[in-house]
Amino acid sequence: MPAELPREVVDCDVHCAPGSMDALLPRLGDYWRDYVEDSTARLPPSGAYPPGARTSGAEPVPQDQAELAAALERTAPRRALLSCLTLDGVHRNPHYAAAMARGLNDWMREELLDRDERLRGSIAVSTLDIVTAVEEVEPLGDDPRFAQVLLPVRSDVPYGNRLYHPLYEAAARHGLRIALHAWGRPGAAPTTTGLTTTYLEDYASNSHIAQFQLLSLVTEGVFGKDPDLGVVFAECGFAWLPALLWRFDKDWKGVWREVPWVKERPSEYVRRHVRLTTEPAHLPRVREQVAQVVEAVGPEMLLYASDHPHDHGDSGGALLRELGTADVEAILRGNAMAFYGQSVS
Amino acid sequence: MTRLATQTAPDEAASKAVTLVDCDIHPVMLPAETSRRLSARWRRHLERYGRRSPHITDTYPRPRNQGMRADAWPEGGVPGSDLALLQHQLLDEHDIDFGILLALHGSDGYDPPELMAELNRAVNDWLVEAWLDRDDRLRASLCVPHDQPALAVAEIERRASDGRFVQVLFPASAQEPLGARKYWPIYEAAAAHGLPVAIHTGGYYAHRGTGWPSFYLEEHAGYGTIMQLALTSLVCEGALAAIPDLKLVLTEGGAAWAAALRWRLDEAWSLLHDETPLLERPPSEYISEQVWFDTQPIEEPDDPAHFMDIIQQADLTDRLMFATDYPHWDFDSPTQTLPRGVPKELREKIFAGTACDLYGLPRTRDAG
Repeated sequence: MPAELPREVVDCDVHCAPGSMDALLPRLGDYWRDYVEDSTARLPPSGAYPPGARTSGAEPVPQDQAELAAALERTAPRRALLSCLTLDGVHRNPHYAAAMARGLNDWMREELLDRDERLRGSIAVSTLDIVTAVEEVEPLGDDPRFAQVLLPVRSDVPYGNRLYHPLYEAAARHGLRIALHAWGRPGAAPTTTGLTTTYLEDYASNSHIAQFQLLSLVTEGVFGKDPDLGVVFAECGFAWLPALLWRFDKDWKGVWREVPWVKERPSEYVRRHVRLTTEPAHLPRVREQVAQVVEAVGPEMLLYASDHPHDHGDSGGALLRELGTADVEAILRGNAMAFYGQSVS
Repeated sequence: MTRLATQTAPDEAASKAVTLVDCDIHPVMLPAETSRRLSARWRRHLERYGRRSPHITDTYPRPRNQGMRADAWPEGGVPGSDLALLQHQLLDEHDIDFGILLALHGSDGYDPPELMAELNRAVNDWLVEAWLDRDDRLRASLCVPHDQPALAVAEIERRASDGRFVQVLFPASAQEPLGARKYWPIYEAAAAHGLPVAIHTGGYYAHRGTGWPSFYLEEHAGYGTIMQLALTSLVCEGALAAIPDLKLVLTEGGAAWAAALRWRLDEAWSLLHDETPLLERPPSEYISEQVWFDTQPIEEPDDPAHFMDIIQQADLTDRLMFATDYPHWDFDSPTQTLPRGVPKELREKIFAGTACDLYGLPRTRDAG
């Protein structure tokens, strides 16, 4: 972890998680309390996976406002967007997933957002049933402290698919962004045909999965339908973007007739509607090439994230060291304020 | 056993310098050609049960002209089935010195093992008779039943002495991730014979961590990403490290993504290398030493300077090889493939030099 972290930032990816089911049980109805007790269902461990790998970080995932405040002391952020990935490990009963989403969001609002005005929330939704996901977004979307809807980048069905469109419409109606965050349910392996035997491959491959999701979102016309929709890829890297768009634009020129609703070059939609967080940065070891990479990606596309407590090495620090003041300022604050608007201002 | 190109000292007057090698040409075998090369048992099987392999073209139909160049249909045949038309439209038209054939018929892996073995053997026999014996500019990729490694190795052994087979063909997606140990005997056999393994876009793509795409555009644009998955598996599972003589040629997957892939693998490895002791060095070093890339479909940045950035960033100066992908719709012409600003020396490497070095092709050929 870099010795000195930038201060007064808009930190677009800070992790938190309830310590155990006890934090949620009082917020669940009778049926789900009985269900949890009878089945001895547990939340996934709040610590990161893998238990002792360096990427998991030296500190535990904050479980309450006090732990978050301690973690944020080093950067004194203007705003911190919370990512709670607890639903990734929740089992596949769609009613249960919806109940846990509600419990998590209430927990985040009451235990974190109500207690620290710097914090901004991400609405957790079940990806197993989009109707209940929309029902979850509708009331919470009126609370300006929720900045986005959180979806795991690994999905059962790609996120451009029409089945998700009502969720995007609801998000756009409320000025919420969509965050696709690294990881997802166990078993969504980053290969065409099977599971990986190393964490190394799984870890590096969130960037591959993000590429497939971006292709899907543009191809299925999500961005053409709603000018207010914004999607941020969190913890998925960003250096992969230019090469993907160069190919995507070229392919679109050849086969646009298949998707007449994609009226502009794919890169045009992406530059208007998509942003990416800076951590992990995945940058060249030849540091002089860092500025080339950011120029090709576009500095306006990047949102600063600490990804606390995860440790992705020094690349995020190198990113800020190699860029000029204006780009650094945009990445640390300005881009996020323009993208999220009122909710982080 | 080491394979050497069979060449004699060129006669200056009658020879020309090799300036253009096309590393990705798709010949197509008509069903009758297949049928007559199969045993009665498997011919009967195909008549009754057909191929079990699901074809990606059925899932994502090419919107126009079955994905072929509109002018590539020979009289009464299909694109890629007619040597004379291919000679006229491709080899003669562009003055191609050597062209490498990749027949994709054998590459699906969901049929009975013995059928796959016979089918791949039939394709290889056909490549010799219908193509290699009839035009000495052509070379071929050896088709193997890749999901039956023992049978695949037997086919490599059977054909390795024919120097016109310059590589072993593998799809970008197989029954298991490409780095799985199941496939290592094939990689080892290829490496032992000095044959690169060409990984070509194709095979059977399943879930890929996001679920299935809906459209050909996203499927096709995603082929580059699927190639990233394949290479990531081969690196992370240790295949490149464990088989140092293994050379990979990534075909029809683009190349510009290689820069960012190297950085993310190196960074991930720097944090997690205690998990994978087989990887003694940063992953990008194995990639630099053991992986080649074909151009088609080369990514096209708006700013041509970004192309040269990528060459440097991804260490591609001696690793990029020209390919047309004839007769497919996204054919890249040698006159339009590279952007402005690529230095002459690098152009010469991309269009011929790198392929000649990798495949042991002669630097001059008979001008007749």
